[in-house]
Amino acid sequence: MTWISKDWAMGGIIKGLIVTLKHVLRVGDRPTVTVQYPYEKMKVQPRFRGLHAVDENACIGCGICEVNCPNSTIQIVKHNTKWYPQVNVGMCLFCGICVDVCPMNAMKMTGNYELADYSRESLIYGPDRLLFNKEVNK
Amino acid sequence: MLFLAMWTGDIMFANTYELIVFILNYIGIYDPIYKVFESFGLEYLLRIIIVLVEIAALFVFILLTVMFLTWMERKVVAMVQARYGPMVTGPRGLLQPVMDGVKLIGKEDIIPAKADRWVFTLAPFLIFIPALLIFIPLPFGESLIISDLNVGLLYIIAISAISPIAILMAGWASNNKYSLMGAMRAVAQDISYTIPLALSAIAVVLFTGSLSTVDIVTAQSGTWFGFIPKWFIFLQPLGFILFLIASIAEMGRIPFDFQESESELVAGFFTEYSGMKFAMFFLAEYAHLFSVSAIVVTLFLGGWSVPFLNFIPAVLVPLVSLGVFLVKTYAIIFFAMWLRDTVPRMRIDQLLNLGWKIMIPLALLNLLVTALLLTAGVFK
Amino acid sequence: MESDELIINMGPVHPSTHGVLRFKLRMDGESIKECTPVIGYLHRGTEKIGEMKTYLQFIPYTDRLDYISAFPNNYAFVKAVEELAGIEVPIRAEYIRVLTMELNRIVNHLVAIGSLLMDLGAATMIMWGFRERENALQLFEMLCGARMTFNYIKPGGVREDIPEGFMPKLNEFLKDMEKRIVDYEQLINGNEIFHMRMKNIGVINAKDAVNFGWTGPTLRGSGVDYDLRKYEPYSIYPDLDFKVCVRNEGDSFARFIVRIDEMKESLHILRQVVDNMPVSKVISSAEYGIAPMTGTPTAVSTYFPRIFTPPAGEVYSRIEAPKGELGFYVVSDGTTKPYRVKIRSPSFCNLTAIPSLVKGLKIGDLIAAFGTIDVVLGDVDR
Repeated sequence: MTWISKDWAMGGIIKGLIVTLKHVLRVGDRPTVTVQYPYEKMKVQPRFRGLHAVDENACIGCGICEVNCPNSTIQIVKHNTKWYPQVNVGMCLFCGICVDVCPMNAMKMTGNYELADYSRESLIYGPDRLLFNKEVNK
Repeated sequence: MLFLAMWTGDIMFANTYELIVFILNYIGIYDPIYKVFESFGLEYLLRIIIVLVEIAALFVFILLTVMFLTWMERKVVAMVQARYGPMVTGPRGLLQPVMDGVKLIGKEDIIPAKADRWVFTLAPFLIFIPALLIFIPLPFGESLIISDLNVGLLYIIAISAISPIAILMAGWASNNKYSLMGAMRAVAQDISYTIPLALSAIAVVLFTGSLSTVDIVTAQSGTWFGFIPKWFIFLQPLGFILFLIASIAEMGRIPFDFQESESELVAGFFTEYSGMKFAMFFLAEYAHLFSVSAIVVTLFLGGWSVPFLNFIPAVLVPLVSLGVFLVKTYAIIFFAMWLRDTVPRMRIDQLLNLGWKIMIPLALLNLLVTALLLTAGVFK
Repeated sequence: MESDELIINMGPVHPSTHGVLRFKLRMDGESIKECTPVIGYLHRGTEKIGEMKTYLQFIPYTDRLDYISAFPNNYAFVKAVEELAGIEVPIRAEYIRVLTMELNRIVNHLVAIGSLLMDLGAATMIMWGFRERENALQLFEMLCGARMTFNYIKPGGVREDIPEGFMPKLNEFLKDMEKRIVDYEQLINGNEIFHMRMKNIGVINAKDAVNFGWTGPTLRGSGVDYDLRKYEPYSIYPDLDFKVCVRNEGDSFARFIVRIDEMKESLHILRQVVDNMPVSKVISSAEYGIAPMTGTPTAVSTYFPRIFTPPAGEVYSRIEAPKGELGFYVVSDGTTKPYRVKIRSPSFCNLTAIPSLVKGLKIGDLIAAFGTIDVVLGDVDR
């Protein structure tokens, strides 16, 4: 008779209910893990691949990053008599190949990930927004 | 001043109307007002006004509770899932139901082109109003009951049987074959679980001999051996479990939730509803949750009676009993929400299998055993 | 009296089809008579792109195939390239690769189980699964800088060495994960409603499963003892001690239990890897530096030239990804770009068995059976 079985004891469901109750009462090591963005933000790790930053003194404008980019989002443009990269952040994969191949270690990636904006043209980050000047101790 | 003595255990007033009349008499303003009405020849109008005030208070209480329950459900589900739930609107998210209401009121009210306009508009009201009517014979506290019908339990079961009609109206008027299929499945689920519900309730009536809810509650007052309260859950454990499962199935909560699951294709009988009519369905569902928990508490957990009520001055007993009733009801509501987080849904045919093949034989068995034990004189 | 059959479209945008997948169902009342999956909504032309990019530039594209577990995708392609060109990899890099891949296996199974239960109605499992996944993603971020598309495994080794602070956090994660798996088993394994939904649904016997080309946990749920890590071992798997998890019933419940067992085996493997990791030759943290392209070999990568032209030839290399057997067939003609890259993806081959698996079932059963096959549309459509 199929309707008589030991499933009636519902022991499995009761064990599940106990585990759920332990979560409600926060017994053991079961905390709440929400981070309420944007009031609290999580810290990014040092190696995080966010927005690019180019060291002004080290970059020689060789174009190796432009050739190796998978998506062709980096272009080398002229900026105050020297040549520096310009990144189209809307198309960028944030893969980090440009950081790997730079021979002068001038290309770096920061931890900035809040890059949303209102128009596609403002997502093209020219050298004026990407360059930083590392203070060299004399 | 004899109301500062300890409560003796007898019901003080038959219903809330008499409580209000007593309070007005005590303040002393009842007689002047009565004379004013009598001079116009309209004595009954005063009674109608007092009863309307009671009903308005009940209505406001129910609506506030239902709003609070939507918040509580989201918070309980979030606590189980290791997250916070609504936190942004109001302190700890308490204004979230208000924001949901504002959003739903602001939506466009769409009626499909070929739908039957009258039936379409009438169906949400026909679901919401019985959910409010159930509260009339429920004792919220000692002498806090709108009307003590002597067929109270039968009235409750009859009113909850109106919902299949309204569901069919909603499904039919939407002019959508999937809504109609969903409505028919919902009606099948409803009627197959009303039967074990009624049978378990009847087993309780065998103990008290009366269908009136106040009599059922007073039959559960007192204790055995001094500390175990005489609630029917100890006399009828199987009946309690069956009633609880049948009422969770009536409400359409998980695990009996296939109507609202996104993975079942048939999207449910309220697909075509938007805006305030949709809000009516949702409010009706939560009002139904509250009322069904209140019925479970009245029938099996002793209603508002607790052994220590005998040590409280009689003037405070209505308030304290209201508090006790609410604590017990919220415990059952918490159980329903707790169950929702833990188990997956059942398929429609497994659900109907459970209702017809397992629960009805068990309910009949329960009735049989109770009747045998009662006639054998085991319970005096 | 005849009843018409109903043609129902379970559209591309649907909460339980794990992506954009469309089912055309012909139903007789409640049971399914015929089911046709329609795919291609996520096709991005990855194999054609492979002919236009160099070997190093193609690696970020392999991340996006099975986006939930991206390390094995990277590794399968890199293994093919290393076989073509005959590149040797330092032993520490192999250990790091296996560490990341097994961690990814745990994370993938968490998402698979979570989505299956969410389709069935219990939404707690996916939230708990994502809580664990968050810890693992923070570990990955510490290691390579990204949470989902890693671009970390390169031909010749890996991109960077393990930072400080990674090992203690990994040990904490392993201890935590054991306790959580106990929680999951208590919640799910004994649950009677879950048994009713999953037992004897979508049964397939061993011979049919092999004929359909199934691999991975779905095959092992039908009783076939086949795991590429044991029978064609690669990397350091010959030195590791683990067992293959097999169940014999062949229904959805068996496939589900195989995944939970595999999570426990992965924890076991991870502990062995952590204990036996060879010491880095690097002395100062300044030399952690970034691997292949600077041209100098580091502790975790051999020398890899800037212009890389492998000899002409073809190779098919396969690994045991969390979803099954993932294979890359790479044809090179001696230039910097491959001539042809063909991807044998596990989800696509597992998906072709759905029409015969669901004949006669109801729609709720289709959801349950389909959830245990664990399909990700990025893998199916490429």
